Amino acid sequence: MQSLVKFTYASAHYRPREGMIAFVLHRISGLAVLLFLSLHIVDTAMVYFQPGAYEEFLAVYRSPIFMLSEIALVAGVIYHGLNGFRIALFDLVLPSAWTIDRERLSVRLTILLSAVLWLPAGVIMGGNFIGYTFLGW
Amino acid sequence: MTVHTAPAATRPSWMTVAWTLMRLSAILLVPLVWIHVVIQDMLVGVHGISLDYVAMRWASLGWRIYDAGLLCFAFAHGVNGLRQVLEDYIHGRRTRRVLRVLLFGFWLGITALGAAAVIGGVRQ
Repeated sequence: MQSLVKFTYASAHYRPREGMIAFVLHRISGLAVLLFLSLHIVDTAMVYFQPGAYEEFLAVYRSPIFMLSEIALVAGVIYHGLNGFRIALFDLVLPSAWTIDRERLSVRLTILLSAVLWLPAGVIMGGNFIGYTFLGW
Repeated sequence: MTVHTAPAATRPSWMTVAWTLMRLSAILLVPLVWIHVVIQDMLVGVHGISLDYVAMRWASLGWRIYDAGLLCFAFAHGVNGLRQVLEDYIHGRRTRRVLRVLLFGFWLGITALGAAAVIGGVRQ
């Protein structure tokens, strides 16, 4: 218990820099995307195994909570893709670019570009969410 | 006298292979997954998807191959990523072996399920 208090205190007072932020976001988004992907393969498989169940999955995906989660999922897919591309590029093509300065700059650019790319997705899917949830489309 | 030693030519371990495949599949998955997301989530949307829509899409062999590519690369990349995350916390040799067997079974089972659907198509 005492160690939990210590851990919580230390965590709250630790200021992560760009590299760790990129790492944590990459893990969270990767695990979230894998969770949905596993479910998504199973739901798609239902078109062959049990078509009625596919319709039921679709009804769940059309619920407000899933429509909102879908918008978050797209943010995760965009960030995980861009950051993964950054890691692959540095590791495979320019390993000499792994310097602290370039790491920090590239993480900032990755997060900025993720937000810019997510914006149109958020507007379109947010519009659908509002339309189907509140306007009776 | 200086002795020059060349690094011994060793075969890369399976972990090195997995490390490289994660990066190569990442480069492939960025266009593959993003195009899928733009079409299905943004242009078509969850309200535009139905059994008929899937049947129409899979009437084209090209889209079936595209979806098979997604299934193979995305899910294998994801399960290997989960292995990497778990192995950051699980260090025992035996526990890791059990973990790898379980993850391999999980990957194989779900992939087989998805492959059956991509090959079998929509049951009318």
